[in-house]
Amino acid sequence: MDSSEVEFLAEKEMVKIIPNFSLDRIYLIGGDLGPFNPGLPVDVPVWLALNLKQRQKCRIVPPAWMDVEKLEEMRELERKEDTFTPVPSPYYMELTKLLLNYASDNIPKADEIRTLVKDIWDTRIAKLRLSADSFISQLEAHAKLDNLTLMEINTIRAFLLDSLNCMYKLRSNLQPGSSKGQFTDY
Amino acid sequence: MPCERKPMRYGHSEGHTEVCFDDSGKFIVTCGNDGDVRIWEGLDDDDPKFITVGEKAYSLALKNGKLVTASSNNTVQIHTFPDGDPDGILTRFTTNATHVVFNSSGSRVAAGSSDFMVKVVEVSDSSQQKTLRGHEAPVLSVTFDPKDDFLASASCDGSVVVWNIEEQSQLISWPVLQKTNDISNAKSLCRLAWQPGTAKFLAVPVETKVHLYERGSWDHVSTLSDDLQTQLINVVAWSPCGQFLAAGSVGGSLTVWDVNSKLCVERQKHEKGFTVCSLAWHPSGSQIVYTDTEGCLGLLDGLSTSTSNTNTTKAPAKKAAKDYDDLFDDDDDDRLMDEGLSETNSPVKKPITGDDDDDDDDFLMPATGRVRNRGAILDDENSLDTGSLKLGQDKFGDDDDTGSVVVPAAAPLVPMRPVYEGPMPTAPQKAFQPGSTPAHLTHRFMMWNSVGIVRGYNDEQDNAIDVEFHDTAVHHAMHLTNSLGHTMADLSQEAVLLACPSTDELASKLQCLHFSSWDTNKEWMVDLPEGEDVRALCLGQGWAAVATSALMLRLFSIGGIQREIFSLPGNVVCMVGHGEQLLIVYHRAPGFDGEQALGVQLLQFGRKKRQLINGEPLPLSLQSHLSWLGFTAEGTPCYVDSVGVVRMLNRSLGNTWTPVCNTRETCKSKSDHYWVVGIHENPQQLRCIPCKGSRYPPTLPRPAVAILPFKLPLCQTSTEKGQMEEQFWRSVLFHNHFSFLSSSGYEIDEDGQSQTQKEQQELLMKMFALSCKLEREFRCVELAELMTQNVVTLAIRYASRSRRMALAQRLSEIALEKANQIQEEEPEEQEEEPEYSGEESLRNVLMGYVQVLGSGKPSSSSGLPRVTNILDNMTSSRKSSPLSRSAGIPSKGPVLKPLAPRPKTKTQSTLLQMNGTKAASKKTPENTQPAADQQKQPEVPPPASPADNTENNRPKTGFQFWLEENRKSITADQPDLEETDIIKEAMGRFRTLSAEERLSWTERAKGQTGDAADLKKRKRAGGGAENDNGQVEADENSSKKKKSLDPSSKLSAFAFNKN
Repeated sequence: MDSSEVEFLAEKEMVKIIPNFSLDRIYLIGGDLGPFNPGLPVDVPVWLALNLKQRQKCRIVPPAWMDVEKLEEMRELERKEDTFTPVPSPYYMELTKLLLNYASDNIPKADEIRTLVKDIWDTRIAKLRLSADSFISQLEAHAKLDNLTLMEINTIRAFLLDSLNCMYKLRSNLQPGSSKGQFTDY
Repeated sequence: MPCERKPMRYGHSEGHTEVCFDDSGKFIVTCGNDGDVRIWEGLDDDDPKFITVGEKAYSLALKNGKLVTASSNNTVQIHTFPDGDPDGILTRFTTNATHVVFNSSGSRVAAGSSDFMVKVVEVSDSSQQKTLRGHEAPVLSVTFDPKDDFLASASCDGSVVVWNIEEQSQLISWPVLQKTNDISNAKSLCRLAWQPGTAKFLAVPVETKVHLYERGSWDHVSTLSDDLQTQLINVVAWSPCGQFLAAGSVGGSLTVWDVNSKLCVERQKHEKGFTVCSLAWHPSGSQIVYTDTEGCLGLLDGLSTSTSNTNTTKAPAKKAAKDYDDLFDDDDDDRLMDEGLSETNSPVKKPITGDDDDDDDDFLMPATGRVRNRGAILDDENSLDTGSLKLGQDKFGDDDDTGSVVVPAAAPLVPMRPVYEGPMPTAPQKAFQPGSTPAHLTHRFMMWNSVGIVRGYNDEQDNAIDVEFHDTAVHHAMHLTNSLGHTMADLSQEAVLLACPSTDELASKLQCLHFSSWDTNKEWMVDLPEGEDVRALCLGQGWAAVATSALMLRLFSIGGIQREIFSLPGNVVCMVGHGEQLLIVYHRAPGFDGEQALGVQLLQFGRKKRQLINGEPLPLSLQSHLSWLGFTAEGTPCYVDSVGVVRMLNRSLGNTWTPVCNTRETCKSKSDHYWVVGIHENPQQLRCIPCKGSRYPPTLPRPAVAILPFKLPLCQTSTEKGQMEEQFWRSVLFHNHFSFLSSSGYEIDEDGQSQTQKEQQELLMKMFALSCKLEREFRCVELAELMTQNVVTLAIRYASRSRRMALAQRLSEIALEKANQIQEEEPEEQEEEPEYSGEESLRNVLMGYVQVLGSGKPSSSSGLPRVTNILDNMTSSRKSSPLSRSAGIPSKGPVLKPLAPRPKTKTQSTLLQMNGTKAASKKTPENTQPAADQQKQPEVPPPASPADNTENNRPKTGFQFWLEENRKSITADQPDLEETDIIKEAMGRFRTLSAEERLSWTERAKGQTGDAADLKKRKRAGGGAENDNGQVEADENSSKKKKSLDPSSKLSAFAFNKN
């Protein structure tokens, strides 16, 4: 899975916008949207929100968790806990990136939010690497990680699986009686 | 002394705070660790003005419009009050000042400092300073002798010193305090207080007691103590009359003593037990404000310091004619004090600590009753500000020292005047623009309505107005410089209207930015006559209205032509326009006891100008004022009062006002409010902005609109019955606009209308089912009376299925009655009312409804007659509105649709858009009548009276069709019957048919009527309906196929599940 695919999935998340045009309910495969009344908040998927925003047809209302105080709290908790803490949205990283890139003028303290989300992300990725490390070094067979988001899993999946494969091969070569033919894999 | 402790509120950040009243008692002024001085208009003021005086403010004093503060930069500064302009530095110390006070005349300021010094400075000339040296530790507090000879100070070195100011020498020193090395370590702030007026006593808080030292002899003459007072007293303050002494302690207790009797008359506890660090009396003596070291502000209200004991009443004649100041006249008070001290048997002496509250209650009852009213007035914080409270002041003359803005509170202090004991008039609320925030804010909303937002900025760099439209299709955003100082605005799809009050040189101006004008001049301006100020303004469709201070209402066309002008019965409060309607609210009379007496006028312009509501009282909640006025998007007047109740005009109940929502019920906290910006009836939406801890939103961050549902305040809405009743009546109420709109010639949302009617009938049926389950048959019948005739037949089915034959019997009587009614009404309706009537449409719609219920397929025939119907009446009640047309309204959103007038039916092109049948029927006027006739007929029910059948040129009913088919079999069975008997017999048989059979007949009949042209032909053939029998039969076959349905599925929609 590509990170752009994850982002694509994230674009299905709903976000509130305040349109500045008027349009009746629209009927799409994914469900009905609208009606759009100027000045009245309405829930739409992120892809539509961004599209409308780029055409200056709406203002985006940032999600409730996209708030400096809440994120600071979350960051502290994330740093304090050894395990992963629940995230505000399963697509927090993608949403932050998308909304801040395209609608930073509608989000108060956009820069602080960007930094805070990046902090949370870094902390979580560090934890993830740490747990992967201990997983490998302790030669565990399985491990359980809660509250991981798709994007986070995605960042480590390719590398972790490949390296586990490699290690497996290396280890099986160390076994007595293994055939030399396995070297051909390299 | 009964008093009310108001809940504490946040005032400043944590740390030492001080508080005082301004001279008039109108404002509470506080300072705190955050370096701000805040000016509160009352405890509930959510938006105090503030003056930043430094990084920290240690102490403040306020007199004669001068605000003196001790701030962290070691200076004592002056600011003007209430403007807050810096007015120079009074004096400096080498470290920060700890306490500043004014003398009684306000000519001098004394300041004590942590550098051991006390300075006395002339306010007018800060070079004239006197420095009092002698303390050996930081000075805790200072106080002036009211006669200006002496000054007392307390210091951390443990001494309380009285100084002679002129000689700058120590007169006497009492080592009564604990020694410490710094203020921060001192256990008590030891705020001294000198009795005002006579200056007889100096009060010194010493541990848990208060020592009184006599002036002159400097003897310790008495001690005020309270058994329950176990904490160190931090601060003391004399009441303005000098008779009472209040003390606040480290542990948060507040005590008030009567000095004459030395008895504790009031005890209160800080709600959280924090240290009370400042205390001040209201100039009227009825309130005490206090602050604590956590930065919170509290208020004791309803203190009655009326000298209602025997001492003062002894000298009535002497005081009666004199001013308030006379109360403090020397002889008078001396004697008063003497008596207090010597007459140990005086009546005030008798109360003992335990039951003194009761005693006070007895003789203070009348006073407290009034005080409570006044409290209520103060509660109305926002709109009842400055102007309103002046009333009281004027009444008591110009003497500022009386200070009493509040009539009732002052009354006890001047007991000898003829006291008016009745209800006190409320200050009339000021005029406002609905949807605007208060004018004193530097950044404010001048208007927020369904069209857009007008924001006003008025700060140092910028004086500007921003206009923004919700729908950018209306117009792009505008930015204007506000050189004229506009304070009022309104916004519509066509124009922006702005107005400014008059100044010394310039007259009050009205400016209109008519952006939708098609010529090049997009702006006009009008000067009002001299002495006339704009008070309120509004925009309608093609017109603008302005209410002025001369009780005049001026109408302008949107292009700037002056139109009608008329006088208003009272001062305007606010005004709104919508389409061709103008709603004005004005002061009808002075209100009493916190109420506002408002009147309302509703005018309709357009072709037929008339007044719909002429000056009826506007109902408000108890002790509230109007906070929003407007129209729903559909054009129904509604308003919101300060208690948060939304009321809407019920046009179908003689223009009464129905409460439809209480916004406060959805608020989480007491200080939260909803700021209403718009109301929609279809869909039912109350659009408002949630404001946390205030009444109105700030401009930044941009507030988001929330939607609240409506809820009629019916009883027991937690039960299912109550819920359904509420839903039903709400639906009925919010359905009223359809008939209003159609009667005034606007396009209506027909789908929405039929939807709501369907919903109402469904609710009735559900309630019916519920009542059936609960064995409430009488109630069932009552409900059936509200139903339309078709639904009643359904109800009959339901009743008979649940084996309630008696009920079914009664219901069938109702059904018959209803059927007769409908038929009787019909001819009259046609003659008298060319307009499209609501009931008619109801029937048409219900027709569709029953079919939908039965078959799930909406019949095509029900829609068709309705269209013709509307068209008919549109021609009759059409009005031309060229202005609105010229305005070039862009394509309307669904929300504003009702406003858009229908295209004129006069024009041929419009007619051609209609389908051929209708066009044909229109061209020959004589055909219109029968066509309309037929539309009304189709629903003639199965049990139609035989009289109708004998001679009618109406379309056939289902029964008639059935009769035609079955006449032969009836005559065969009973050949000797008369014509009328045949019909009776037939009716009996028809009734025995199942519902769906009957329905299919009805539908067939309707299918016939749908085709107007066909019917016309038939009628010309001379009532030879039989000729068409073949065709009827063909129709019958097809419709029978349609209607193969399980009867239970129809009723299952109404099945009421008790679980």
